[in-house]
Order: sequence, then structure tokens, then C-alpha cells
Amino acid sequence: MSNATPSAPFAGVADEQRLRSILYRGAASAFLFALPIIVFLLIWETTVRLGWINATILPSPSNIARRAWVLLDPADPAKSILLTHIVVSLWRALSSFALACVLAIPMGLFLGLNRTAYLIASPLLSLLLPLPAVAWAPIFLVIFGQGDITIIAVCFLGAFFPILYSTIQGVRAIGRHSLWVVRSMGASRFDIFRRVLLPGALPALISGLKLGMAHSWRTLVAAEMLAALTHGLGFMIFAARSYMDVSTMFVGIVCLALIGLLIERGVFGSLEALTIHRWHGNGKVGSHR
Amino acid sequence: MSVETAKILPLRDGAGTKPKIVAKNVQKYFGNVLAMEDISCTINEREFVAIIGPSGCGKSTFLYLIAGFEKASQGELLINNELVVGPGPDRGVVFQEFVLFPWLTVLRNATLGLDIKGVPRQEAEERARKWLRLTGLSGFENAYPSSLSGGMKQRVAIARALSYDPEVLLLDEPFGALDVQTKNYMIQDLQNLWVEANRTIVMITHSVSEAVQLADRVLILSSRPSRIIADVAIKLPHPRDLRDPQVRRYEDEVTALLSAEVDKAMKRERQTFAGRS
Repeated sequence: MSNATPSAPFAGVADEQRLRSILYRGAASAFLFALPIIVFLLIWETTVRLGWINATILPSPSNIARRAWVLLDPADPAKSILLTHIVVSLWRALSSFALACVLAIPMGLFLGLNRTAYLIASPLLSLLLPLPAVAWAPIFLVIFGQGDITIIAVCFLGAFFPILYSTIQGVRAIGRHSLWVVRSMGASRFDIFRRVLLPGALPALISGLKLGMAHSWRTLVAAEMLAALTHGLGFMIFAARSYMDVSTMFVGIVCLALIGLLIERGVFGSLEALTIHRWHGNGKVGSHR
Repeated sequence: MSVETAKILPLRDGAGTKPKIVAKNVQKYFGNVLAMEDISCTINEREFVAIIGPSGCGKSTFLYLIAGFEKASQGELLINNELVVGPGPDRGVVFQEFVLFPWLTVLRNATLGLDIKGVPRQEAEERARKWLRLTGLSGFENAYPSSLSGGMKQRVAIARALSYDPEVLLLDEPFGALDVQTKNYMIQDLQNLWVEANRTIVMITHSVSEAVQLADRVLILSSRPSRIIADVAIKLPHPRDLRDPQVRRYEDEVTALLSAEVDKAMKRERQTFAGRS
């Protein structure tokens, strides 16, 4: 085409090259991440196969993988035992996390903004924050008995305090000058909230959410061991002890680790990439790399 | 020199004689501490007034009173003959530490005041771009503040305060956080901006050369509790060069007045200290 700018094909080539280099770098970092794990698994496998470790106490990774495959039953996903456990656990963890967000974020914003309320609540929070949520489990068991409500209540407490605390700190860290700037622009209360308080508190809030989710996930296992009747990864691990089924326990542990990692990297990693990393990126002006 | 007898001498084109900001016997206490004894002054429309004084004398407090962030304990503060009751979009403020919003790009920081006013996005961007150009930031519209140098951040803050068209621009030690080279360059570089802005400007500073180079009038405050001890009109056209002997003469005059006050304050401080021990 005579109209086509001469630079267009070069731009295409540059784009393709850039995409390729991004893919290459992604693959390289994934490999670097996986390498120590692979080496670790190989050593583990070898020591078990050589009989240096009793396989009934520590089964080999291949054994655990085989067990996971059986439990997963990929031929019929609807009836897969492992998938059911995972879904039930995820549902409990996520619903308690969501509940914690809904209550802790508004409360945190309020306590962060209201000095008097903060002074009253602060000593209580300092006392409750370091308390492991599982400690409440027996009390909830007395009130609600075994079942989802007890598990969700315990996980909720695990997630609630880190989110509340981070939200308060995030709001309190916003300087009065920031508020003055928008107030001198004639901002309404809602404008101040939407344009300064919320984005200003977001970095702290995200780390609070991350911590809250991690706490919720950790508390879940213990709560399920104590209070679950039929399902959940914690229940699966705990129930397997009756049959001395160590490989099933390890399948549960591996699932907990993998899902925890996925939530941390996948969900919160991309949330951070969209916000904090973009705002405070190390990219200098003029360079788009 | 008392305030009543001080003559207002407009020198920038268009600087009027209509009073814009009037302070009548303004007093400010912080708890039991008297920070401001009695400040009375009149700042006229489109005048550039610099307020200078020993450190800790409450210069910034006076600016915050005008901005409406703080309330006077006694006396009245009027803008356009109306009592100041709180902050408002008729006054734009630039702080020493820039106070940009890191989650907004340069352009979005600059349009913020207009966004809050509800001005359509395209018009807001057009108006903000004009001030970004005049502050020398063209090409940086889509950058985030974290990637800018201190001098550039302060340019964004100035553009942001001018974009929403306030009648009064309040500058709180705007060059105080910058290194000497950047500061000197910016003062020189932005001289035309103030003429272009054509607003009433009040600048707090502790630098005599800054005050003399930029302002139409320099108010000198005493140490705490502060009063206005001198009102010096700088009768020179803009832009000004610090090497100009006339500018130098004003600089010497203001320095002399200010150091006499600083000497007094220091002596008083030493006496109180000696009396205590």
C-alpha cells in the first residue's frame, strides 16, 4: 500500500520481538522458580526408593502423585473425592474471607478516621490481633456444634483482624495535607473518600487482604480437623490418620500448599501489579520497558 | 512601618488596587501558646505577596488561615469581603512537600480539581494541559509521580493548583524542599508563569532572594508571637534578575530588617534560657 507508513512493518517486528522476549523471560523465571523444587523432589524420591527412609511414614513423591490421581478420579470429575474436598475447603475459606472484608474494611475506615473511636478500640485490637483464631474453635463448637458455621466463624476471625488493622493503618497514614489539597478543591465527603482515602489506603489494604486470606487459609485446616463432619482438605488429612493413609495426608498437604500459592501469586499478585507496582514502578519517564 | 501607612504599589500589569484578602487583628493560639499576636494586612487583587520571617514564626499558619484549614482565635479574615469559614475552590494551595497523589498520572493529578467540580473530561484535560505546558511538563502527562524528580513534582503541584482556576494561589514554601540548583532554576523558569497566571498570589518563604525576585510586596513577620514588622514594596518590573543591582538593593534592605528581628529573637531566647538556669 502506498499509504502505509514505512515504519509500520518494523513496529510489527518490534512487537513480536518484545512479545517473544516477555514469553522467554516468563519461562525462564518459572523454570528458576521450579528448579529447586524439582531437585528437592528428586532427592526425596531417591532416598525413599533406596530404602533410607521408611515409605510408610514418608511415601515417595511418585507414590503421593499416584494417590492424588486416584483421589482426583479425572475420568468422572463430578464424583471426584479430592475435587469435592478442595471445593468445600475453598468455599469455606472464601466465604469467611468475604465476610471479613465486608465487615473489617468499613470498620477500619471508620476507626482510621475517627480519633476517639480509634483510641477506644486500639487497646482491644492490640489484645485480639496476636490471638490465634483457632483458640476460639472450642467456644464456637460449644455454641454451634460441628459443621460449616463453626469453621467459617473461626476462619472469619483469622481474616478479620489483619484486614481491620491494615485498613486502619492505611487510612491513618494518609497525611492531612493530602486531605487539605482536595478540600481546597471543594471536594465533598464522598469525593474525599473516593479520591483520597480509598486509593491512599489501598497499598496497606492489599497487604491486609493478603495477610487475611493467608490467615483464613491456615486457620481453615485446624478448624476442619476439629469441626468438619464430612468434607474439606483438613478433614481429609485428619480422617486419613485412622487408616494410617500417609499418602492421602500428603496429597492434602500438597493441595493446601499449591492452592495457597495460587491465591497469593495469582489473585493478590495481579491486584498488586494493577495498582501499587504501576504507581511505584521502577520505570523511569520515557522508557516503556 | 505600620500596615495602615504602607502604600500598595501595583507593578505587574493588571495588578489592581481592589482589596482581595484582608486580615484584621488576626490572633492565633495553639492551646495556651500565642502563635500570632496581631496580624493586620491587606493583599490586593492580582498582587504577588511574599511573607517572610524567622523560622517557627507562624508564617505557614497564616497561610493555612487564609486557606481555611485553620481557624483564627481572634480577629477576622476576609476574602472578597466575605469571612473565611473553610477551604474552598477559590483558593489553590501548593505545599512544600508537593502532596501529589501517587495513584494518579501527572495529567489526572492536574485535572483533579476540575474532576471534582464535575467539568467534562475533555475540557478538564484541555485546561490542565495548558498549565502543564506552562510549567514545562509537556510530554510527561502519562507518567506517575513516583518517576519524577522533586522539581518536576512541584511543577505538577503548581499546575494542579492553577488548573481549576482559583482566584487566589497560596504557596507554602514552594521551593523549600528542592536542592539549590533546582530551586534557582525553577524560580527563574517560572517567572513568566506568575505573570501569565495573573492571580492574587501569597507565598510563604524563608528565602529573601526568592521573595525579592518574585513578589510585588514582601511582608516581614516578627518571631513568635508574630506581628508584621515591615511591608516592603518591590518596585521593579518582571522578570527580575538577581544580579541586577536594584534587586540586590531590595535584597539587602529586606535582609537587614529580617536579621535585626532574628537577632532580637535570639537574644530574647538566650535571656529566657539564662533566666531559667
